[in-house]
Amino acid sequence: MLGPGVAWYLGVAAFLFGTGALGVLVRRNVLIVLLSLEIMLNGGNLALISFSRHAGNGAGQIFALAVMAVAASEVCVGLGLVVALHRRRLALDVDRLSELRG
Amino acid sequence: MSAVDQMGAAAWLCLLAPLAGTILILLAGTRISRAAAAWISTGSVFVAFAGAVWAFLVLHSQQNRSGTIWTAWTWLQAGSFKVGLQVLVDPLSTMMMLIVSGVGALIVLYSIGYMAGDDEERRYFAYMSFFVFSMLMLVEGGNLLLLLVGWGLVGLSSYLLIGFWHERPSAVRAAKKAFVMNALGDATMALALFVLIAHSNSLAFTTSFATAGSLSQTTVDLVALGLLGGAVAKSAQIPLQTWLPDAMEGPTPVSALIHAATMVTAGVYLIARTNPIFEQARTIELIAAGTGALTLLVAGLIALVQTDIKRVIAYSTMSQIGYMFLGAGVGGYANGMFHLMTHAFFKALLFLGAGLAIHALAGEQDIRKMRGIGALMPFTKWCFLAGALALVGVPPFSGFFSKDPIIASTVNLGWYGWVFWVCGVVGAFLTGIYTFRLWFLVFTGPPSELVSSHFAAPAAADGNGAEGRGHGAHHGEGPWTMLVPVGVLALLATFGGWIQWPPKWEYVTDWLKPVAPTLAAAVPSSTQEYVTSAVTVLVGLAGIAVAWAMYGSGRIAVPKAASARQLLEHKFYFDELYDALFYRPTAAAADWLRRDFEEPVVLQTGPDLGQTTLDAGGLVRRLQTGLLRTYVFALATGAAVIGIVFLLVK
Repeated sequence: MLGPGVAWYLGVAAFLFGTGALGVLVRRNVLIVLLSLEIMLNGGNLALISFSRHAGNGAGQIFALAVMAVAASEVCVGLGLVVALHRRRLALDVDRLSELRG
Repeated sequence: MSAVDQMGAAAWLCLLAPLAGTILILLAGTRISRAAAAWISTGSVFVAFAGAVWAFLVLHSQQNRSGTIWTAWTWLQAGSFKVGLQVLVDPLSTMMMLIVSGVGALIVLYSIGYMAGDDEERRYFAYMSFFVFSMLMLVEGGNLLLLLVGWGLVGLSSYLLIGFWHERPSAVRAAKKAFVMNALGDATMALALFVLIAHSNSLAFTTSFATAGSLSQTTVDLVALGLLGGAVAKSAQIPLQTWLPDAMEGPTPVSALIHAATMVTAGVYLIARTNPIFEQARTIELIAAGTGALTLLVAGLIALVQTDIKRVIAYSTMSQIGYMFLGAGVGGYANGMFHLMTHAFFKALLFLGAGLAIHALAGEQDIRKMRGIGALMPFTKWCFLAGALALVGVPPFSGFFSKDPIIASTVNLGWYGWVFWVCGVVGAFLTGIYTFRLWFLVFTGPPSELVSSHFAAPAAADGNGAEGRGHGAHHGEGPWTMLVPVGVLALLATFGGWIQWPPKWEYVTDWLKPVAPTLAAAVPSSTQEYVTSAVTVLVGLAGIAVAWAMYGSGRIAVPKAASARQLLEHKFYFDELYDALFYRPTAAAADWLRRDFEEPVVLQTGPDLGQTTLDAGGLVRRLQTGLLRTYVFALATGAAVIGIVFLLVK
C-alpha cells in the first residue's frame, strides 16, 4: 500500500468533522451553519472512503456517493429556505428563528 | 310432465307466487293505484291456492304418498353439513298449503273492502302477501332449517301487521310484545336444532327422525322441549300466551288470517310434523297435551268477561288451539290437524263477521255498545251464527266433527287421560257460554243508540273510533269483496267438517297416515266416541242455554262474584306477574347501571382521559425551546454519551 497509513486519513476526517460540528454549535448565521453541516458530511465521507480502501472493499465508496447525493438535496432545500427567509426580510439568525418554542 | 314433476312445479308456484306479489307491489311503489296493489296481492294468493290445489290433486292420484322433496340448490354448506333450499310435498304439507292459501286468499280479498281508503294500503297488501309466502315457506320447507326460516318470517310479518297502524302507541307496544315473546320460542327451537345437528349432522326430516331413536332419553327430551317451546310461543299457549290478545291491535283481517286461522296454529303443525321426535319423548308430548288442556280452560274462563269483541274471539282462539295441542299431544295428530282446518274456517268467519260489524260501526269494538246490530245486518248475523255453532261444536257444523274426537281420544291414557277428558268437556261448556254471550249481546235484541245512529245517517258515520279511518259511509252491510269471503267461509264452517265422520269415515286420518299416523293409545272405541260426542254436545248446548238465560232473555242475573270477575278481567294476572318478574327487575337493573356505572364511570372516563393527556403535554412542552443550538447540543451530547458507553462496555 502506497502513501500514508489509514490513521492519517482518519485524523483529517475527524478534524473536518470537529470543525463542522463546532461551526454548527457556535455560529448563528444560517448560511454558515449550512456550510458547517456540509463540512461535517464530508468529514464522514472521508472516513468512509479511507476505511473502504483500508479494507479493500468498495461498499464504503458507494456509501459515500449516496451521502453526496443526500447532501446535494439537503443543500437545495436548505438554500431554498434561506432564500425564502431573505425574501420575507427575516433575520438569518438561528437564535431569533425560534417560533417553534413550546 | 310426470306426476312427480307436476307436484314440484305446483309446490314452487304455490310458494313463490305470493313472494312475487310482494316484490311487485314494493317495486311499483306509488306508480300503481291502491286498488291495483290490492288486486295484485289477492291475485298472487289465489295463484298460490291454485298451486296448492294442483299439488293436492296430483298427490291424491298417487299410490305412494310418503312425500317428495325438491332441492333448488345447496343453500348452506359447512364441511359435511349441508342444507338445501328444498320444498316438500306430502299429505301434511299439502293440507296446510290448502288451508293457508285458501283461507288466506279469502281474507286478502276481504281486506280489499275493509282497508279501502287507508293511507297505506299498498304497504298493507305487500305485508299480507309476504305473510302468506312466509307461512307457505314454513309448511313447505323441506328441512328443519327452512321450517325455522319460515317460523321467523311469519313472526316478522306478524310484527309488521300488528304494528301496521304505527302511529298508535298501543299497536306498536303490542307488536313489540308479540315479537319478543315469539323470539323466546324461536330461541328454544334454534337450540333444539343445534342439538340435532350435533348428533346427526343434518337437519333433513328423515335423518333427524331416524336419529331421534338412537339418542339418549335426556337428549331427545331436550330436543322435544326446545321444539315445544317454539310451538307454545307461536301458538300462544300458557305460559307464553299474553301476546295474542294484545295482537288484536292489528287490522281485523290480520287477526283473522294470522292470529286465528294460520300462524298461531303453526305449533300444532310443528308437533304433527316432528311427531317421530315427540314420540321418543313421550313425557314432553304429554306436557304439550297438558299445556293445551290448561290453556283451553284458562282462555275459556277469561273469554267470559272480555268486553272487546275481537278479544273474546282471540281468547277463544287460544282455547281452541289448546284443544289442538291436546289432540296432537296425546298422539292423535290427525285430530289436531283436522281441528286446525275446521278452526281456520269458523274462526276466520267469526273474525271477518266481527270485522263487518266493526266496519259498519266505524271502528267500535265494545260489545256493550254494539247491542242489537243483528237486526240491521241480517247476513252478518246468520253467518256469525254459523261460525258460533261450529265453534261450540253443535252438529252438523264443522266443529262437532273435529272437537269431539280430540276429547274422545284422551280417555284411554289412564288417570291423566281422564283429567284431559274432563278439561275438554268443561272447555266445551265454557265455549258455549262465551260464544253465545257474544252472540246474544251483539246480534240480538233492539239496536242500541250507537248502532241506530250509524245506520240512520250513514253520512255522519265517519271515523272517530279506534279503527275509524276509511270506514265511512256504507251501503248495506259492506262491499261485495267483504261479503263473498264471509259467505264462502260460512259454507265451509257449516259443511267443512263433513269430510270426516269418526269413527265411521276418517278421511283426514287416512290422508295423514303416511306422515303422522295416530298412536294406538289415542284411538277410542266406538262407544267411547259416541258417549263423548253426546256429552260434549249436551254440555255445549247447556252452555248456550246459560248464555241465553243470562244475556239473551235476562232470566238469570249475571252472577256478581266480584273477586272472580276481577281475577278474570285481569287475565289471571299473567301480565302483572311477568311485569314483576321480568320487566321491573330489568328496568331497575338498567336504571341502577345508568346511575352507578354509566354516568360516574363510562361518561366520566372520556373527559378524564383528555385532561390527563393535556397535563402530560404541558410538561413535555418545555423541552421544545425553538432554539436550534439547544437541539444540536442535545444531539451532540447524546452521541457523545452513546460513544462513551460503547467504549466502556467494549
